[in-house]
Amino acid sequence: MPFRLNIMLCTGTGCVSNGAFPLLEAFEKEIKKHELHGEVAVIPTGCNGFCAVGPLVVVQPDEIFYQRLRIEDVPFLVQEHFLKGRPVKKFMYTPPETKEPIPVMSDIPFFGKQMLIALRNRGLIDPENIDEYIARDGYKGFTKAITTMTPKQVIDEVKASGLRGRGGGGFPTGLKWEVAFNTQSDEKFIIINCDEGDPGAFMDRSIVESDPHSVIEGVLIGAYALGVKQVYIYVRMEYPLALKRFYRALEHATEYGLLGKNILGKGMDLEIEVHRGAGAFICGEETALIRSIQGFVGEAQAKYIYPAEKGLNGKPTIINNVETWANIPQIILRGAKWFASIGTRGKNGDGGSTGTKVFSLVGKVHNTGLVEVPMGITLREIIYDIGGGIKNNKKFKSVQTGGPSGGFLPESLLDLPVDFDELLKVGSMMGSGGMVVTDEDNCMVDMARYFLDFVQSESCGKCIPCREGTKRMLDILERITFGQGTEEDLVKLEELSKLIVESSLCALGGTAPNPVLTTMKYFREEYEAHVKNKKCPAHTCKPLITYTIDGKICVEKGHGCGVCRKNCPQSAIAGELKKEHRIDPAKCDKCGICYDVCKFDAIYVD
Amino acid sequence: MITLKIDGIEVQVPEETTVLKAAEKVGVWIPTMCHNDLFEPYAVCRLCSVEVVRGKRSRVVTACNYPVSEGIEVLTDSENIRWIRKFLMELILSRWPNVKVVKEMAEKLNVGKPRYESLEKDEAEDACILCGQCVNVCREVVQANVIGFSYRGIKREVVLPLGEQSDKCIVCGACALVCPTGHIKMVIEDYKGKKPEFTLGPKTSIYVPTMQGIPRVPVIDAESCIHFKTGGCEVCAKVCEPHAVNYDMKDEIVEIDVGQILLSTGYDIFDASKMTQFGYGRLNDVYSSLEFEMMLSSMGPTSGKVLTKDGKEPRSIGIVHCVGSRDTNHHPYCSRVCCMYALKFAHLVCDRTDAEIYQFYIDMRAFGKGYEEFYVRILDEGVKVIRGKVAEVSEVTSSGEYKNQLIIRCEDTLAGKILEVPVDMVILCNAIEPRKDIDAVRRLFSISKSPDGFFLERHPKLDPTSTMSDGIYIAGCAQGPKDIPDTVAQASSAAARILSYISKGEVEIDPVRAWIDDKYCAGCRICNNLCPYTAIDFIEEKKISQINDVLCKGCGTCVAACPASAITGKGFSDAQIVAELEGLLAI
Amino acid sequence: MAKLTIEELDKLREKAVDKLRLRESGENRGRVIVHLGTCGIAAGGRQVLTALLDEVEKQGIKDITVTTAGCAGLCSREPMATIELFGQTPVKYADLTAEKIKKILAEHVVKGKLIKEYALAVGSERVG
Repeated sequence: MPFRLNIMLCTGTGCVSNGAFPLLEAFEKEIKKHELHGEVAVIPTGCNGFCAVGPLVVVQPDEIFYQRLRIEDVPFLVQEHFLKGRPVKKFMYTPPETKEPIPVMSDIPFFGKQMLIALRNRGLIDPENIDEYIARDGYKGFTKAITTMTPKQVIDEVKASGLRGRGGGGFPTGLKWEVAFNTQSDEKFIIINCDEGDPGAFMDRSIVESDPHSVIEGVLIGAYALGVKQVYIYVRMEYPLALKRFYRALEHATEYGLLGKNILGKGMDLEIEVHRGAGAFICGEETALIRSIQGFVGEAQAKYIYPAEKGLNGKPTIINNVETWANIPQIILRGAKWFASIGTRGKNGDGGSTGTKVFSLVGKVHNTGLVEVPMGITLREIIYDIGGGIKNNKKFKSVQTGGPSGGFLPESLLDLPVDFDELLKVGSMMGSGGMVVTDEDNCMVDMARYFLDFVQSESCGKCIPCREGTKRMLDILERITFGQGTEEDLVKLEELSKLIVESSLCALGGTAPNPVLTTMKYFREEYEAHVKNKKCPAHTCKPLITYTIDGKICVEKGHGCGVCRKNCPQSAIAGELKKEHRIDPAKCDKCGICYDVCKFDAIYVD
Repeated sequence: MITLKIDGIEVQVPEETTVLKAAEKVGVWIPTMCHNDLFEPYAVCRLCSVEVVRGKRSRVVTACNYPVSEGIEVLTDSENIRWIRKFLMELILSRWPNVKVVKEMAEKLNVGKPRYESLEKDEAEDACILCGQCVNVCREVVQANVIGFSYRGIKREVVLPLGEQSDKCIVCGACALVCPTGHIKMVIEDYKGKKPEFTLGPKTSIYVPTMQGIPRVPVIDAESCIHFKTGGCEVCAKVCEPHAVNYDMKDEIVEIDVGQILLSTGYDIFDASKMTQFGYGRLNDVYSSLEFEMMLSSMGPTSGKVLTKDGKEPRSIGIVHCVGSRDTNHHPYCSRVCCMYALKFAHLVCDRTDAEIYQFYIDMRAFGKGYEEFYVRILDEGVKVIRGKVAEVSEVTSSGEYKNQLIIRCEDTLAGKILEVPVDMVILCNAIEPRKDIDAVRRLFSISKSPDGFFLERHPKLDPTSTMSDGIYIAGCAQGPKDIPDTVAQASSAAARILSYISKGEVEIDPVRAWIDDKYCAGCRICNNLCPYTAIDFIEEKKISQINDVLCKGCGTCVAACPASAITGKGFSDAQIVAELEGLLAI
Repeated sequence: MAKLTIEELDKLREKAVDKLRLRESGENRGRVIVHLGTCGIAAGGRQVLTALLDEVEKQGIKDITVTTAGCAGLCSREPMATIELFGQTPVKYADLTAEKIKKILAEHVVKGKLIKEYALAVGSERVG
């Protein structure tokens, strides 16, 4: 007997850290109590994407979306909805503008604008159950390929789909496969890149956690097309849940004869070996990853010959990231035409970006989380329609796409369509899909410094421009945020950026200056304010700001209440009740507590 | 072949050549700081950046690893490239301002004082510039994988695994050899307990064992060769144009049919560690004569310089004569050559150092042509000769004037005084003694040895090169201690003997020999082992023994021993003897 | 578990699909809503629901959704159910039993014939 209700409980890493597993237990207990266990099933699923409001459940078949559930909410919810059939409004998502709860998931704007290909099974299946994947057309793409298509046809199909690598560079996947296909070798390899190192990015993790079989199926198709017998997946050690689910998936697939010897009785052999990365950012770079798998220190290799020709052990090696692989089964199953109809088309039919892209939308937006959108959607749609706009009625300032070495784009570029080439043109990139939104409170110089600090400490240190150059740039940016910058420093930053971009060994160096270059291009006035006026317009760089008490307001409105004086950890505020208070700039360490506690807005920052 | 243009010069090179190599061919200089032909391009210094123009598109690549392709034009001196190189050099110089190779390269690239102040500045003159050559040579060539990089970004450094010395390190020194700044040095930590060859063997793993030897070909010392330790390297095979290096060569046994044999198996030197009073093998800077000879050789470990183990020139040297010779506990005989080579040592040391030289002798035996004159010359050179046998060599461990020196104790028998002479180095004149395998060789060739242990000649005065076995000759120290002129004389005489038989084409032998009558031989083989000349062989097919007429000396041992009386002396059969007797009686 | 062939994989998929159908709000023909307020449960709504789900599975009906709702307001006539076939006016049935709901499923849901004697009303209240 099928279950009347399916409670799809998100157990992605985000919701797990918000207590999804205790919630699961509570649901099961409560359902048993009401003797509903034959009718209502609780299914742990992968990440639903709307991480901002976890832990969350979706009740199917009515698609009722409940958010921010606590254990104490469970009895009421079970009794009202599951037993009596009355959906509970107070647990539903309520958008800040309308104050009206939205019961059905697809009506929530966050989900409404999304289009799922790589994440099509998220929230719908139990990632640890292969049967559920199979039920959702799982392994159908692979059987289609192996029974009705030649390897060449598979590659042509992938080529025709216009799929481009989702890991960062956006190299056409079909073309890469073709190169490996045409290279003669006794052995070829496939590597699944799941070494997602960008801070705040979790696309690949989420796919492996919610739908590991889609990656295995993609790889099976690739292995069939390229005659590969050995596949490696390189997973970061920091992804324990993804690892666990992937191991489980491997176990099940092997048990079903979808991996191992003589797959589906078709004479194809394939092994997948899990390689755990130790967490170096650089190991997401193809050549460094290969070095790491070979047991050497992970550092980028100088390459003018691509891994598709000469990679692991000198043999042709296809490296694609998890998201790319997860797209493959759908392309084969539904056809390249269908895939290519989504997204943008470049001039003359080539280039362009087809299909969908998963982004991790983070920063100062209402709805942070994981979103999959069709290519060509504008940044504005992602930030305002899906992300729900900027938090706390602040003003939008910039959005950074493409991870730590992506560029910051200003408001004027918000109508830019999301497309590999368009983003490159304006000095940013698609990257693996990080998207960080900043508001008026973020200092762009400080943001550039922050990301440069990240890339310089994650640089493998092999080549001189990246190792020495990024460090010099960081020194200069630090000087600027400390108010010691000079106009010459701005010239130096530009010079160093040019050198690093031109002469670095790998893409990490080649893109590392992007945050600096774009902020200098689009937010130059902020740099000038730091350098010339020694001011930080966003009031973020502590050495450049001062807190001052407006004596008039303090006395007239607040009657010298003294709250600031009592709260100041440095005892930097002097004054008496009903009298004007003053901050001693020598003692003040600019923690901002006084600013926060003053009820009369008598304290201002400059 | 691929045709390309480098700075306007057209050049043709084979496929897969790098731009750097192609540029070398046309004499265009491209700066490099991390490149080495020994391993794959590492491409980290980026100084070799060049612009590659194909049609209208141009991109900056590194010459060291960019493979040439048809029709490209390479610009090595465009404005952009000059800017990139100078800027990179400026960054390198700002971090390592005092390293010689960095300063030199900066000068070549016209980089003056850097505008960038480096927080990581390393002022050392031999600082590591992270070029990675040591790591690459260890990984790719030696294949020991002992050195690696650690830490990321600006903190990157070259390290040993876990910061400890690895037992995987084969102490080949390749890293120190390729290090451009001298940051890596070979440090020899401990001599004691190690084989003297460790420091005094051949300087490289490929060497010519004896420069005067024939054929004069180099050999690989499998014990120290990197290839035989790790399976890697093979650099010699790569550079050898006629492809003469063969790692699979094995020892083999060759059988050659010969009529005559000259044994010149040489001698061993006396192991001085048996005479513990001299401290050989226990004290630093006590050398055997052979080791010191190695040190003096320009092919040797110190390139001919006289140095103590801590690399200093000795202030004084003691040469001890008769170590193991003329000694009733070891060898009673005189080794004959020591006095003269000791004087030669003294002469060479005088020539190369300012050290004081002491000779401790029992009797100075300068008997050959010109020898006495040489002795007089040495005395003129200021060498101190002390007549007396050394009692002990000891180390001064206490502080004071002679700290860490060696003290030689001996009685000056001419002055009748006990002496204690402080020296930095002691050279022992080891006795010449028979080869350790002399008995096995002797048995093989059926020859004898004299009481001193050397091969016995047929007659000490009348026939010093022959032995009691016909066709077996001896020469050189195998017969007894002798110097080079004597050896040459003896060997020449033996060679002349041998040649005389070869030119004759046949040998004369005495008619006296034994003979086996096939009819009576039962094949018991008793005679085979009894024959002192190994002249009797067993013939498997006929199951009987047979005598080699050339080897048989007619001694009669076999005749007496044969249980079947099948052997008789030829010409001495019973019938013949009876007939002779009858003849005698008939008169 | 033995290794699968392609045919076995397809069979397995068909089997598994049924289990998952109710998770997707897909292109269905309609839905049966069993009213399970306190009154409905007390009057035996649970048995009606169980019988209905059993029958749906037995007949292999794949294009309707079975779901529950709260009290319909007419507690005295419970158990009740509403049949919503898309494009048609919803019909409410009252005083249901396991037998009755099976018949309703066979006649109304599958064949589209309304069973007048069980029906309470056609259409629903206006939502103000």
